[in-house]
Amino acid sequence: MENQEKQFRLNVTRRHFLTKAGLGFGSAALGSMLFKDQLFGADTQSSLPLGLAQYAPKAKRIIYLFQNGAPSQLETFDYKPLLNKMHGEELPASIRMGQRLTGMTANQEKFPLVGSSFGFSQHGQSGAWISELFPNIASIADDICIVKTMNTEAINHDPALTFFQTGAQQGNRPSMGAWMSYGLGSENSNLPSYTVLLSRGRGNGQGVYSKLWTNGFLDSVHQGVVFSSGDDPVLYLNNPEGHDKQSRRDMLDQLAKFNAEAFDNFGDPEINTRIKQYEMSYRMQSAVPELTDLSKESDNTIKMYGPDCLVPGTYAANCLLARKLSESGVRFVQLYHQGWDTHGNLVNDMRMQAEDVDRASAGLIKDLKQRGLLDETLVIWGGEFGRTNYCQGKIDGANYGRDHHPKCFSIWMAGGGVKPGMVYGETDEFGYNTIKDPVSVHDFHATVLHLMGINHEQLTYRHLGRRYRLTDVAGQVVNGIIA
Amino acid sequence: MSRHLFVLSNLLIVLQVFLLLFCFLDLSVLPQLVLFAGRFHPVVLHLPITLIILLVPFSIYLQRRTDTDDLSGIFDLVLHYIALISTLTALAGFLLAAEGGYNQDSLVFHKWLGVAVAFSTHALVYIKKAFVKNTIVWNSAMLTTLIVMVAGSHYGGNLTHGEGFFAFKQDVKPTITIAEFTAKTTVYDGAVQPILAAKCMECHNDQKTKGGLNMKNLASMLKGGKSGSMWVSGDPDKSLMIERMLLGMDDQKHMPPKGKAQLSAAEILLFKEWIRAGANPTKTYHSLAVTDTLKTIITSIINTAPVEKATKTYSFSAASASAIEQLNSPFRRILPLASNSPALSVKFYLKEKYDLNMLTECKSISEQVVEVNLSNMPADDKAIEVLSSFENIERINLNGTAISGKNLGLLKSNKHLEQVSLASTAVGYPMLDALGAFPSLKKVFLWNTSLTEPEMAAIRKKFPKIHWDLGYIPDKNELLKLTKPRLLDEEKRIYSPGELIAFKPQMSGVQIRYTIDGSKPDSLASILYTKPFPVIGMMKLRAISVSPGWKTSDTTDNTFFLKGFKPDSIRMINEADKQYKGQGAITLTDLVKGTPGNLNVNWLGYRDNSFKIGAYFSKGEDIQQILLSTVESIDGYVMPAKKIIIKGGDSPKSLKLLKTIVPEQPKEKRRRQLIPFVIPLDKKQYRYFEIEAYPVNVLPKWHPGKGDKGWVFVDEVFFY
Repeated sequence: MENQEKQFRLNVTRRHFLTKAGLGFGSAALGSMLFKDQLFGADTQSSLPLGLAQYAPKAKRIIYLFQNGAPSQLETFDYKPLLNKMHGEELPASIRMGQRLTGMTANQEKFPLVGSSFGFSQHGQSGAWISELFPNIASIADDICIVKTMNTEAINHDPALTFFQTGAQQGNRPSMGAWMSYGLGSENSNLPSYTVLLSRGRGNGQGVYSKLWTNGFLDSVHQGVVFSSGDDPVLYLNNPEGHDKQSRRDMLDQLAKFNAEAFDNFGDPEINTRIKQYEMSYRMQSAVPELTDLSKESDNTIKMYGPDCLVPGTYAANCLLARKLSESGVRFVQLYHQGWDTHGNLVNDMRMQAEDVDRASAGLIKDLKQRGLLDETLVIWGGEFGRTNYCQGKIDGANYGRDHHPKCFSIWMAGGGVKPGMVYGETDEFGYNTIKDPVSVHDFHATVLHLMGINHEQLTYRHLGRRYRLTDVAGQVVNGIIA
Repeated sequence: MSRHLFVLSNLLIVLQVFLLLFCFLDLSVLPQLVLFAGRFHPVVLHLPITLIILLVPFSIYLQRRTDTDDLSGIFDLVLHYIALISTLTALAGFLLAAEGGYNQDSLVFHKWLGVAVAFSTHALVYIKKAFVKNTIVWNSAMLTTLIVMVAGSHYGGNLTHGEGFFAFKQDVKPTITIAEFTAKTTVYDGAVQPILAAKCMECHNDQKTKGGLNMKNLASMLKGGKSGSMWVSGDPDKSLMIERMLLGMDDQKHMPPKGKAQLSAAEILLFKEWIRAGANPTKTYHSLAVTDTLKTIITSIINTAPVEKATKTYSFSAASASAIEQLNSPFRRILPLASNSPALSVKFYLKEKYDLNMLTECKSISEQVVEVNLSNMPADDKAIEVLSSFENIERINLNGTAISGKNLGLLKSNKHLEQVSLASTAVGYPMLDALGAFPSLKKVFLWNTSLTEPEMAAIRKKFPKIHWDLGYIPDKNELLKLTKPRLLDEEKRIYSPGELIAFKPQMSGVQIRYTIDGSKPDSLASILYTKPFPVIGMMKLRAISVSPGWKTSDTTDNTFFLKGFKPDSIRMINEADKQYKGQGAITLTDLVKGTPGNLNVNWLGYRDNSFKIGAYFSKGEDIQQILLSTVESIDGYVMPAKKIIIKGGDSPKSLKLLKTIVPEQPKEKRRRQLIPFVIPLDKKQYRYFEIEAYPVNVLPKWHPGKGDKGWVFVDEVFFY
């Protein structure tokens, strides 16, 4: 037994040691919250001073409205009238250029082009083309920057989602929100700095899994915390019956003593994480009810987000909650809205999905703007890849479907130092290839980090003998979309 | 004359002869070891400066005293030493200059002025002796020496620190700023020159040409330095510049020298590739192919450039870390805008923790605070008074606070205030005039205040330079659909007598109208929901939300059941299908309803067997009705039972047929739904009931699985 303990102690890594040493004089020194990792200079995990932006950030917080399942760019923001003209004709091989296909259409004999069944019109001073499915998003055309030339390496949902969220297809890497929490720290220590909100639309859905908001190899305080979609977004937050606040406080103090003792014995930093999380939960008992109380929302707020915002678990309610969380200093609020996987029955599904997200997405932008928060909050709207310009299966009258397409798709961003009222990048007339200004997922991550005041090449973490970054070994800041 | 002084004055004469020789000889031929002595020039040069300056007060002191005899000897000695040290400094200076690398223009002045200082300090020794009584001659000689020394030092300073070192200006540290590449920007102007300017030109410029190399412009670079040309076009491996950059840090010839800002790997690569591409000064960035290595490197360097640009500089100094730490808490967070910025933002959290003191305490960092966020805190007008003392504040967020707006004018003293957020406050039109007069105010946010659109138009007209934001105003013509009424308990479908059904509260002004007979609810005629109500038998509740100015909601549609008599035992006569066994017989009386959406839980499914159970009541209740709850799902081949048979008696052995029902079958595909069968019985008491329901054995022709066997699913049996 004694021998085992020795073994364990020998296995305690330098990181463990440093964290432990830091706890000793951290509170006496400059302040554990402010400059904690600067104390150890070059010996820390990152070359950056952690917990602060490296240079003045354009955006302090992010709200990522992830449209899970991949909305079609051809029915949203990438207007391709040629497809309507060539409706039913074969996709020319010169355009496809041997692009690999998913198992769902690889064996298809024909690839009939299919035009959008929804009309497009131009909006705002930028003249951005936006589909009739999104009248409310069209009304904020001058506040958003549409990037039409996103591209990804993956062609199936899970790897593509994982790639978008963690910078690698294989998983086990920290997700974007965890990197932000690690690099920038928390603004409000009464709430988790990375929260996740889930909703499900009426279209064909694809799953989301907790690996998408994982802390990976980072400390588990950086893990995304899911707020549940019921009336009670954080479960078990209330004191058990018969316990008042003071008795909860006493219990936590006692527990912290035990935990501190355990930490002294074993040196496992996860114990400290646990102590911190208990303390945060205690403060969340006050912080969360302030956020989830919708009774004081004005009629105008409800009209802005749509009446669904009063029904917990809907996309609209999550958008409203996201605004409140973000306003309260949560660095990264990640929404996932499922149901965009339109392999078939696209016309109906897109209509229902758009109905769910259009008003609330636009409402969120308007709400942030009118509170003077849009310029410090970056909002991102988009899915994991695009959809093919040809029909999956046969065109069935007015109905059709589209398969996965990684080479170009549209997302939009607003606020937080992104140029408003602009359309970035050009795709070909077929909506299949990029002809100008491609933006890879790594570029996207580099840009988002840049907007948050971090050089993506310098936010690193040493793990398994090498330094890791969100952008891996790639990524260039897309200066063209930065205001 | 003492021996000491004698030696000193003769040594001085010898050294001055050397100095005279140095003025006319080429010293660069001297051996390295001798030249090395020149390195002591910077070590000793401050001594004559100090001594000559001190000479002035010393001399004045002596002139004011009468009993100076004992001190004048010392004064003489000091004069000798000043001359000696000045001469040595000048000699060393000559040797240092011989090593080269200095701008000749500045050097000439420095050199001759330095020599002049050495000679004139020597002259002072004799002037002092010759004009003992004539203070005018002495004073003017001394002051001349001082002036010559100051002038010489100035040129020396220029040599070392660069011209304009004494000019007042900020930003002494060169940073690489790469301007945007236009179509005409050459690679040389856009990338090569900025890096040279930042990292090499400190020592290779007009003033200081170390190694005889000047990098001022392309022409001067092409001349090369003492060791030869900087590069060989097209061949980086033979280029001296690249060689020097790649030498080890400890190599004497490594460039930039140890201790100076070093080149990054990308920057060295850039020079290499530029030389490889021919070092063409007219090649433009845009003419390079996307895949060109040079272009890739430049792009990667440009991409790090905005880092420098983005940081706003402030003239005030940073607050002490301890002051910040003292104020920081989970309820008051103070953060620098960036890691190297002195500017701070302050944000408050949790209403219950806020009081005015929390803000007042921040006065200790009032100079550094540029952002204060009090949103949703119960802060009142007193907070404005405190905020007015934060001299550098730029942004204030007061959204949702309790301020009245009456004293907003106090913030006029905040000269840098750019943005004030006042959404959801009591601020009204009359208080905005005060804001209009603020010197640097740019944005004011007024959503959800009492402000009307005409008032807004007026204020915009009055102060057009400020962006007044009234926020979202709903379109009166747009009707939005209300949300369906939601049940307080969304899961519960079976109620005990006395338990009540309740709806969740709706937004104000919304009414819920409902029916319990399965008919479509009407916005006027149906029952208005005012309070919770009981379940009567099996109840089909349909409800809508209505409100003027809104579209009526979709219908909430649910069936509720009243809890009946519970059998003392219930047994399965036929087993349910393996896949849909539920919890066994208990599933039927556990008072948990299954949902049509998920047949895997709370349901019993039958296909090969019929559903057949026995229920036993030891007391023999007065049962008038049996309710069999089933489901229909066309896609899942689940149909209403083909036939339902109820038998009753005192024991399983003595049963008689009570009822046979042949349910109506669907004629076409329809949505999944619950199908409850209410079966009335004769008013006769039985202790034992047997209930059997047969699945459809041949699916109809219109069905996608025509000819196949159907299923029957049961989730609950009620006895009333």
